Amino acid sequence: VAKTSLTSPPWPEVKLPDPVEEAKYHAEVVQKVNKMIATGQYGRLFAVVHFASKQWKITSEDLIMMDNVLEAECGDRIRMEKVLLVGADDFTLIGRPLLGKELVRVEATVVEKTESWPKINMRFWKRHNYQRKKIIRNPQTVLRINTIEIFPGLS
Amino acid sequence: RYVRQLQRLQLLFSPTAADARGARQFVEEAALDFARRHPDVVLYVSPRSGPAPTLVAEYLNGTVREELIASKTSEEIVQLATKLAGQSGLDIIRIRKPFHTDNPSIQGQWHPLTNKPSALTIQGPRLQPQ
Repeated sequence: VAKTSLTSPPWPEVKLPDPVEEAKYHAEVVQKVNKMIATGQYGRLFAVVHFASKQWKITSEDLIMMDNVLEAECGDRIRMEKVLLVGADDFTLIGRPLLGKELVRVEATVVEKTESWPKINMRFWKRHNYQRKKIIRNPQTVLRINTIEIFPGLS
Repeated sequence: RYVRQLQRLQLLFSPTAADARGARQFVEEAALDFARRHPDVVLYVSPRSGPAPTLVAEYLNGTVREELIASKTSEEIVQLATKLAGQSGLDIIRIRKPFHTDNPSIQGQWHPLTNKPSALTIQGPRLQPQ
């Protein structure tokens, strides 16, 4: 059969490697990463955490503010679960969708519990002599991320 | 290591005014509990005959906040005091970002030339690899 411009797709054909070789390669990579974590060769760690219905990218010693009330008092340490991603300079650990609790540990402290700035909620209809004004203040909490730790427990 | 940002709470009220009743009840009943629950806040109670009763809060960065407590029940004053105790002395204005980091990028900040092959490796109809 003659080869025309439509016999093969326009993108370059990619050959997948052997599954056995792939499994060996994966095991090698996993061992390397485990060794690196165990010896502590990583610098700063960052993590993507799902908290208060939002996903945050956090490192150590940074501030996060949420628009709700947590049940912890000022100065309490909180451990965050629901970690989606952890990364360092050379490697990243991606969870599907979450990472295990034996792998990552994210700790935070409640720094302050304040209220937001006074927001004005006003309704006005013209020519109907109708206006309502309401000042809304939401309670907010500020957290400071203390540490992000990882443990060598990959498989 | 957590440091409470509230330095002092000054409760100024007059023993005879009618609108200071909640303040007087607070002083009689709940002030000791409040002081015990927040041991790192100094609570000054000073009766004086003057205008309306106020609760003055001073923070570690110097800001002073005054709140009126006239015609408020002692529970409301307790809630107010706990709210002030949890705040820090920053101004309550609109904050633009709900997060703040000192080191925003770890693996290197993205610029449009990351993850792109260099000019030596691309193969195209015009550019020959050297």
